[in-house]
Amino acid sequence: MATSGAPGPDDHDHDHGHGRLASSLTARYSDWVLEALDELPGSFLLTDPALPGHPIVYASGGLAALTGYAPRDVLGRNARLFQGAATDRAAVAGVREAVRTHRAHQAALLNYRRDGAPHWVLLHLAPVFHARDGTLLHFLAVQVPIAPAAATRGATCHAPGPLLAACRDEARVREDLPCATHAGKVFVDMDKRGLEAEEPRVASDREKEMATSTANNIVSALNRYSKLTGLVVSSKRCCSIGIPALSSSLNLSLGRIKQSFVLTDSRLPDMPIIYASDAFTSLTGYSREEILGCNCKVLNGPGTSLEVLEEINQHICSEQACTVDLLSYRKDGSSYCDLLHVSPIRDASGKVAFHIWVHLDMGAKHDFNGLAPEVWLLGAVGAVRVAVRGCQASTMTA
Amino acid sequence: MVSATKVEGEYSFLSKNSHLDQSEGVKIHLYRFGAEHRNDKLKSLACSEQDGPSLLDTILLSQWDNFALKGHLDYDVTACQLKVIGGGRNFVGQLNNKWNPFSLKEYDKFLSFTCLKTNSMKSYEGLLLGIAQGENDRPEVTPSASPPKDGLLVIANAYPVEYGHIFLVPSAINQLSCYWDKVMIGLATKISSEVNNAAFRVFFDSRTSVVSGHMIFQACYFAIPLPVESASTFMVYDGNGKARSDIIVSETVDYPLKALVFTSTNLKALVSVVSEISVSLHDNATAYSLLISNNGTKVFLFPQVKNLVTGCCLSAWECGGYFVYHTKFGFDNASETEISNRMGSVSLEDSTFEDLKHLCCAIADDLCKLMQNVTA
Repeated sequence: MATSGAPGPDDHDHDHGHGRLASSLTARYSDWVLEALDELPGSFLLTDPALPGHPIVYASGGLAALTGYAPRDVLGRNARLFQGAATDRAAVAGVREAVRTHRAHQAALLNYRRDGAPHWVLLHLAPVFHARDGTLLHFLAVQVPIAPAAATRGATCHAPGPLLAACRDEARVREDLPCATHAGKVFVDMDKRGLEAEEPRVASDREKEMATSTANNIVSALNRYSKLTGLVVSSKRCCSIGIPALSSSLNLSLGRIKQSFVLTDSRLPDMPIIYASDAFTSLTGYSREEILGCNCKVLNGPGTSLEVLEEINQHICSEQACTVDLLSYRKDGSSYCDLLHVSPIRDASGKVAFHIWVHLDMGAKHDFNGLAPEVWLLGAVGAVRVAVRGCQASTMTA
Repeated sequence: MVSATKVEGEYSFLSKNSHLDQSEGVKIHLYRFGAEHRNDKLKSLACSEQDGPSLLDTILLSQWDNFALKGHLDYDVTACQLKVIGGGRNFVGQLNNKWNPFSLKEYDKFLSFTCLKTNSMKSYEGLLLGIAQGENDRPEVTPSASPPKDGLLVIANAYPVEYGHIFLVPSAINQLSCYWDKVMIGLATKISSEVNNAAFRVFFDSRTSVVSGHMIFQACYFAIPLPVESASTFMVYDGNGKARSDIIVSETVDYPLKALVFTSTNLKALVSVVSEISVSLHDNATAYSLLISNNGTKVFLFPQVKNLVTGCCLSAWECGGYFVYHTKFGFDNASETEISNRMGSVSLEDSTFEDLKHLCCAIADDLCKLMQNVTA
């Protein structure tokens, strides 16, 4: 992706792109929301995960002061444009995971200014949800510069540069929309800007607080201008209240596993699903928001064997693993032959913390690399065992 | 359609749904490495984080969990409590009253096993996989009726010290040992690289793991970082001011057991240096342990003296800071001081360690020159 020198807007596409980006905000908030956001201090942007390429739909004036990118340079582009050659992959993976799982996240990142100069920022990422039905509307990303370790001590509050009043019409110039395929890829890419990394910086408490308070101000501004039929936006998803969020390191390990599986929490009433893999959501058609908090029986339907379900229950009660054939149902009502493996998963204390349910659609084509399907399933089980064994019970949820 | 099927069968890969079932007499899954699969070059920065688990990782975990599911393990190691021992070094303790270090000495079984004719292989459930070099670009799993001639066998340890505990046993033992040592270190490092999972560590103990002159490596998945991996290090060799070296040698600083660390993304260079040093230590009758971590890019060398009181050496995972306690009392009272003392009691004298350090630097330097001549 080009890092600077945004191509001139194509007149034909101009109106279309402009309209689409602007309506991402104006469809959900009053027309005054842009003015209100322009008034706010700080370097921040909003992205819309529902649009192709997960583009930036709003960029603050403070962002231009911090990064050298004027709002018109970044609107319509993916937020990974700030990353470069020496940006830490692990930190970026953490951000990607937070985007994928719709969670708030803070990470120190080595970003690049428009002129190619690297600089350390604390990225504060927060999802913005529709308060009533819990749908994801936007991601909010606040960038706070991180002062060098030596300068941090005793430094006065390092406020971002003076606010530049961004012209809205200017800001709506469209540029090439990147065509990243899905929201999970946002904020990450490698530009081969061959600059060496300097010493990694760690954000101070002051910088962390600043990022959080900037984000809170923005969310309350969005609340004030919300026109979602009287509903407010909120940084907490309502439907998952009561379901503990897994720690980010555990989420990261689980996110690598390709098989279709869910984890249920055996210590909560009715064993709700507390994690669902990407492969599971594509197999069943349920989104993560819909399935978290539910019991695995949502997959049952006419013809699902009660004897087999009873057998699963007995194995769960006796902390044993079992593999069964079962008729399961997708969200759209279609059924499939499910090869299901259920196994207890123990944490570092040696006690059962979760149950893993690995689902395999026997009607679909799979490459088991010469293993039997029921053995291939266990690869996911082993990987989850290792990930959860590394978690102290107290640190499992964040 | 809705009936329950118990997953049974003597051998997982002879199951009715397996791709392998057509050919009668197939006894083993053989994993073949991709030919020079991104070995000599820096791994692409992106690949390790973005990709899911590797094929070898998934197969090892599948086969091991299947072995456990069938009840062949003596105990479920994931039911054994883990804790980080207070004090700042983050030593890890495991409470496990069934683990028996002497169970590691069942090597006779492997030797007789590898000599057996292929038709007896079916009787050994612990055999998870054969691993050998391959000719194709990508790694692949193929059925095989016999053990690989120039590879190794992956055998599950029924008395695991951690999840996924396996032995890596050479499949042919009637070869010259000095040649095989290098091959085994090479295969062990390559496995570490191809599994490409930060939790997976490969290790070797010279006192207990050499059978008739052949090295037997072990490996398992440690969910928690080993303390030695986060210990401070001081670089002692990086090419002596010449062109950038492929290999960096460091020593641990402020770790109770003196250790050397070899770091390289060039697998061949790393294997050459480590195997040279292993041969030297072997010739000197010095006890040592190796720990291969960080996806095959880092090798820790722990030279040891015999503890005069107990007559024991530490195993590689103990050198790394991971200890098994048999009793609740021992587990509850585990302290950093006690562990540091145990490590200190097998740590080399300063002068001996200096000599070893110089030897390591000299070997690394020789190799560095050799490689530069080759490329020049």
